Amino acid sequence: MFLFEHDAKALLAGFGVAVPEGCLLRADGVLEGTIPGGPLIVKAQVAGGGRGKAGGIRRAADAVEALQVAGSLAAVPLAGAPVAGCRIEQAIVGATEVYVSLALDAGQARVQVLMSDLGGVDIESVAPAALVRECAEPEAVALAAAVQRAAQRLAPGNRAAAAEAGTRLAAAFLALDAQLVEVNPLFVLPEGAPTRWVAADAKLVTDDNALYRQPALAALVEQAASRYPEAARKWKHGCDYVVVDPGGEIALLTTGAGLSMMLIDELRAQGLRPYNFLDVRTGGLRGDPQRLVDVLGWMGEGRGVRVLLVNIFAGITHLGEFSRLLVRALDAVPAFRVPVVARLAGPGFDEAVEVLGARGVTVERDLPRAIDAVRGALAEGVTLSAEKTS
Amino acid sequence: MNPRPPFSLSVDRHTPVLVQGITGRAGQRHACMMRDAGTSIVAGVSGRAGADAVDGIPVFADCASAVQATGAVASVLLVGAAQVLPAATEALAAGVRLLVTPTEGVPVHDAIELRRRVDAAGATWVGASTPGLAIPGEAKLGFLPDVSLAPGPVAMASKSGTLSYEAGFRLVQAGLGQSAWIGVGGDPVKGTRFADLAPWFARHGRTEAVLLVGEIGGDEEEAFAQAIGTSGFDKPVVALIAGRTAPQGISMGHAGALTWGSVGTWESKRAALAAAGVQVCATIDEAVKALAQALRR
Repeated sequence: MFLFEHDAKALLAGFGVAVPEGCLLRADGVLEGTIPGGPLIVKAQVAGGGRGKAGGIRRAADAVEALQVAGSLAAVPLAGAPVAGCRIEQAIVGATEVYVSLALDAGQARVQVLMSDLGGVDIESVAPAALVRECAEPEAVALAAAVQRAAQRLAPGNRAAAAEAGTRLAAAFLALDAQLVEVNPLFVLPEGAPTRWVAADAKLVTDDNALYRQPALAALVEQAASRYPEAARKWKHGCDYVVVDPGGEIALLTTGAGLSMMLIDELRAQGLRPYNFLDVRTGGLRGDPQRLVDVLGWMGEGRGVRVLLVNIFAGITHLGEFSRLLVRALDAVPAFRVPVVARLAGPGFDEAVEVLGARGVTVERDLPRAIDAVRGALAEGVTLSAEKTS
Repeated sequence: MNPRPPFSLSVDRHTPVLVQGITGRAGQRHACMMRDAGTSIVAGVSGRAGADAVDGIPVFADCASAVQATGAVASVLLVGAAQVLPAATEALAAGVRLLVTPTEGVPVHDAIELRRRVDAAGATWVGASTPGLAIPGEAKLGFLPDVSLAPGPVAMASKSGTLSYEAGFRLVQAGLGQSAWIGVGGDPVKGTRFADLAPWFARHGRTEAVLLVGEIGGDEEEAFAQAIGTSGFDKPVVALIAGRTAPQGISMGHAGALTWGSVGTWESKRAALAAAGVQVCATIDEAVKALAQALRR
């Protein structure tokens, strides 16, 4: 999962990475921590890059101004990305900006250490000649050596700071099961400053699959579930659920990540509005409808949802068994009452038609036909609501 | 670091295959289903005491004795995520040459370590988080649904299980089938990547065209494009990439399906593949039609 800067800094500080003093004004208006003395910098907490260019980083003279700026930044999405709050931290001046990162090189199955004397800009815009690159196995001694080699290729004034920061980031990378740790910029401070360097920004991407052996990350996901709703749901419920369009009309009960993503893409290309992404993992239900009950409850929160499309291409799951669980789940969530269209393929299809047919669910064998049925249900819904208003 | 041995797959109905974790729920079921599909399942391995056979398949306490007794050269590992690394290491030590690991949720740092051990052994690893692989009409190692499988001219490579089931199903409906189907899986670090398959597809006699079933995240589609672009690959390639409209910074079901910044985006993949002469299709039906046309059927 992608950690917001505030949380990334808190975790990295535990590994001796110096960060500016700061706090978090959450999206719900709650302040976590205390605002340090000015001058301050206010930073929108968003996933993805380009935050500075999009206006997500502002200056403030004092706490009062910082809260004002933070409130206005958190109120609207930044370049389309929702803002999960604002970090308010002490502004640091007079530093040299360096780039330091450790990233998983998935192709080589190694870790890439990347450094540059040209920090503070989008690293992809930096000329290759100005980038220092070293590779290592993800193992403490080898990685520390790669960090040292990289740091020694920087400008003399930056070497010591980059080596020390890089060594601590490497320890964090290994200990946290990370896929990316990036500090850009790393502020290298002039002689006589209280610290030699400080991480002005921090990006941390960790591995959801390793959460079971990462107590600090698991605790964060539980405590900050509102900032990490997807990871929290997966941790607690064992399935992936993402609201992709809060105004969406079509709830999707689907299994398999790729097919679920593709279905969303295809529906949107046809001008339809899917509400959510879901990989329910039918193989993990094991005779218990609870996960389906939870999922239907979440879908019920979508105010625009007017039809439920079920798409299960079963390799393993018996569709008769699944259908009985679905009927039990639908009965258990009476508040979620929308027409249901099911597209099913796999073993037990005939039994599923019988079970779901008795419940008034349209069952199709082919996905394009099921999408037509969804269109039909939406069109009917429009007529119904028009009748209500007339 | 050892150079990676080139990918090669010589699996048929005679290849002796063992199943690790055979006494588990998934192990029992899928050992039988794979055997029904024609695969020579010759042995099972289980740490559980007392099981000497599962539906007639002999069960051994460890890989070494299973390999010694049966000559198994391939293993399907139906074990929990935390057991994949130790179980695969045991199989490699016993001399197994092909590992298929369907398990979802293997930590990335474990996968890196396994890649190192597989490379050192000069073996082949497909997975993790894969529905497996198949040579239709010969053998399947994993879960691929029979309704989506038929012998034919299209080699399929996929990150996603279900999307490839759907694509395979429609290929079969359209009268096309597969020469080989390799689910590389949805994890960021894996045993076999799309690009590893390119040289093998190029020389695989029964493969006349390729369907690449990709998704956002990582750089495998880009690397595959580079591999075919530089090698004079002369078979038509059609691609589907799921997640065009997915939000950034969120793992979309697969650990590997995570984009940040410009890394792993749909547009980056589309552009790279298109530049290498690959037809990138917006829908599954379009992809099937494109393949039918490329093969003039």
